[in-house]
Amino acid sequence: MPAINLMSISLLYATSFAILLLGFLTAVSSKDLIRLLIALELMFGAVFISLIPLFAVAANPAFAASIIVIFTSAGELLVLIAAIVIQDRRKKNILVRDITAGGDKL
Amino acid sequence: MNIEMILLEAFAGILVLSALGVLLSRDNFYSTLFMTLTLVMVATVYALFDLQPLFVLIVFVFVGVIGIVTVALAATYRAMPERQFAWIWCIPVFITAVILGFSIFTHPLHGTGISSPIGFTLQGFLKSGSEYQLLFLFLTSLVILLFLSVIKLYRGEES
Repeated sequence: MPAINLMSISLLYATSFAILLLGFLTAVSSKDLIRLLIALELMFGAVFISLIPLFAVAANPAFAASIIVIFTSAGELLVLIAAIVIQDRRKKNILVRDITAGGDKL
Repeated sequence: MNIEMILLEAFAGILVLSALGVLLSRDNFYSTLFMTLTLVMVATVYALFDLQPLFVLIVFVFVGVIGIVTVALAATYRAMPERQFAWIWCIPVFITAVILGFSIFTHPLHGTGISSPIGFTLQGFLKSGSEYQLLFLFLTSLVILLFLSVIKLYRGEES
């Protein structure tokens, strides 16, 4: 098991930032909702990576935070998947440009 | 450099390359496959740090449920979508990278040689009387509320 030192922390944060950046670029370049969903999942992957160094400092709170992040992000993505299906039913497409309002109504 | 560090670097390289595949692939189906590979590699990094409970959670909950549903969605709506991309976004991204790199480099940890292993055990986390049991209760309530909201959303749409 690799120890948490400056080199591994730097590597983990650099990887996390690179994945976050790629997810962000995918999100801003997406024109359909599925690619947006993929980008969000990628960004959550970056969050998971950035949580690893926290385990060396406070393992139990880090595990609690990880569980919260995993379940809330999974729930959030589940809601987005339901929204994609509803968008397809209403508009007969899943393009981002057809979403004109936020809030309760899709 | 020991073998663990080399493995970590290899995993980090595969992670970044598969994430790059998500961005560069024009077909959403292949993008989801690259995304699934990225998340499995994230879980593998956790396994490398001897955090097997999180490996199981990420692989089964995140990849096994959400990732596979996304793959199915992308396969259903398979098309070659157009993409929009403005290079102007590179400027704030570069500024953020410089600030982050500078802050990590100037952190007090730099140069002190601190090296601490991860000593996490699931038994220690789930011991009786732990305050984290309340967390599990709230988390379960949150997940049930989310499921109810999805069902309400879907039924409202049908009616």
